Amino acid sequence: MPSTQTPPLAGAAIDPPSLRPPIDDAVIERVEPETLRARLSALKAEGYSMLLDLGAVDYSERTPRFDVVYHLLKMPVTPSSVESVGKPARVRVLCGVNGPQPHVPSVMDLWRSADWAEREVFDLFGITFDGHADLRRIQMPYDWEGHPLRKDYPARGAARERSPRPSFANKSNVQAGTPASGRTLEALQEQVKRAREGKLP
Amino acid sequence: MSMSTQPLTPEIVSQEGNAMVLSMGPQHPSTHGVLQIMLEIEGESVVKAEPEIGYLHTGIEKTAEGLFWSQAQTVIERMDYLAPESNALCYALAVEKLLGVTDRIPPRAQVVRVMLAELTRIASHCVWLGTHGIDLGAISVFFYCFDLRENVLDLQEAAGGARMHPNYVRVGGLNGDLPDGFLDKLDAFIAKFPGRMRDLRGLLQANPIFQDRTIDVGFLSPEEAVQWNVTGPSLRGSGIAYDVRKAFPYCGYETYDFDIPTRAEGDAYARFLVRLDEMEQSHRIVVQTRERLKTPGAVLLDDPKIVAPPKETIALSMEALIHHFKIISEGFRVPPGDVYQPIESPRGELAYYVVSNGENRPYRVRTRPPSMYNLQALKGIAPGNLIADLVVMIGSLDPVFGEVDR
Repeated sequence: MPSTQTPPLAGAAIDPPSLRPPIDDAVIERVEPETLRARLSALKAEGYSMLLDLGAVDYSERTPRFDVVYHLLKMPVTPSSVESVGKPARVRVLCGVNGPQPHVPSVMDLWRSADWAEREVFDLFGITFDGHADLRRIQMPYDWEGHPLRKDYPARGAARERSPRPSFANKSNVQAGTPASGRTLEALQEQVKRAREGKLP
Repeated sequence: MSMSTQPLTPEIVSQEGNAMVLSMGPQHPSTHGVLQIMLEIEGESVVKAEPEIGYLHTGIEKTAEGLFWSQAQTVIERMDYLAPESNALCYALAVEKLLGVTDRIPPRAQVVRVMLAELTRIASHCVWLGTHGIDLGAISVFFYCFDLRENVLDLQEAAGGARMHPNYVRVGGLNGDLPDGFLDKLDAFIAKFPGRMRDLRGLLQANPIFQDRTIDVGFLSPEEAVQWNVTGPSLRGSGIAYDVRKAFPYCGYETYDFDIPTRAEGDAYARFLVRLDEMEQSHRIVVQTRERLKTPGAVLLDDPKIVAPPKETIALSMEALIHHFKIISEGFRVPPGDVYQPIESPRGELAYYVVSNGENRPYRVRTRPPSMYNLQALKGIAPGNLIADLVVMIGSLDPVFGEVDR
């Protein structure tokens, strides 16, 4: 039986997408961050109405370090049958970004679905999307430090302190926290009794 | 209160002018998991809805980078816990494409995969229908649905050895052939399904309370659906018949006879009808796979560099022993490259964008989570509706949080 196995490349492949012709249904394009918005707007105008997905890959040993990956689909925007949808065209746009503060323009105004996708890339890779209206962390807690899907972020780490309690604990009419230590059942019963008698302040 | 300030504190109630900010969830029973929605309301009407996700983030994509290609599948299968077979199948297809062995997968394995994918669609829609019914106060639907789902889980257990996450679909085929007696169980399920489907339709479809709660609620126009990147039954409920099984067939879906149900209304009731019709179409496909399963055959790729040889051969052959040892101890290597592999999961276009750098571990596994994008559309469709209808809208979009948060 012929084997499909290939030996690993020396030093690991630095840019896998460039190493072989596309094997899926998408046309692959590589653009620079400066021309990204113009190219994506042009694709949108061509009828790529759906931004199927937006993700990123960290090629830590390469320059530029990150690839932001846009998957576009040419979808009709009116009710259509299986035949008229047919086999919609796909485009994959790869955009390399680099720098201590990697950033690309946001496409949230072109496709509203980019909102959460860009937030996720920002959260997990630390790539900023200029012009995003609400760029907050989405998966990790708000006070998290670091961007977990970067290759230099360890998959395991030291135990971390818990996130601060949400502030609504203070809004409750029940006192937050457990009773002070040393308070016995008798003391609590006494408190209840006094409360019933209206003696408690 | 501005909702975009960072960090966003989930105050239970704060007021400014007439608008009130209300945090719904993440423990609310009708949010189908751990969804929190920050609502800006005026009276009973929603002015703005901002779903807050991430409560179930488990870092599956990060974990997968540290595992062998075959091990990664076990965690990936846990993303969409209501339809584990879809995740496993999609990932296996992506890796097979990178390996270049797609055409060599045995036909019987593809038939079983299609059968499992459709069964899991039925099971997943059962959970959706049951919980959607409960959200609207129809308790009995839940029992009928979970009974039917239990039958599917029994079949999954018989085939793969576990009810929920059998890890049965593997890169290269399946983990073993179907056991003896499986086809009888499948026949029993096939025979039971139409009657049970009639019951389910009878309970809800013409129910005036259910119709009042769902018709014209959560309207999603085709333009909005595309703009919000909605796929699956929710997109087809808005009239666009896009289904990956038809548009980009995999596992031989082009050889099966089935329809893509669509509705033009775009409301929660339309999505409800689409899913019910879809269950029947899935049944139709399962019946066709039943015929093909009569043909015996291999279910695993014959390539000792990718698939470990059968355990019984390792006592007889030196080569088999070496291959077995190599596969178990260091996995297989995948040629460098990237691939985007979509499938039609019960929730829509599920896809993995997988990058390999030639090593025995995935370099990057990016999920295209259909639930996340479908749920995001809530921001578009919720404003202007009543809070009570929000529950209907969430239910009709059918998010699964294992997949939204990963």
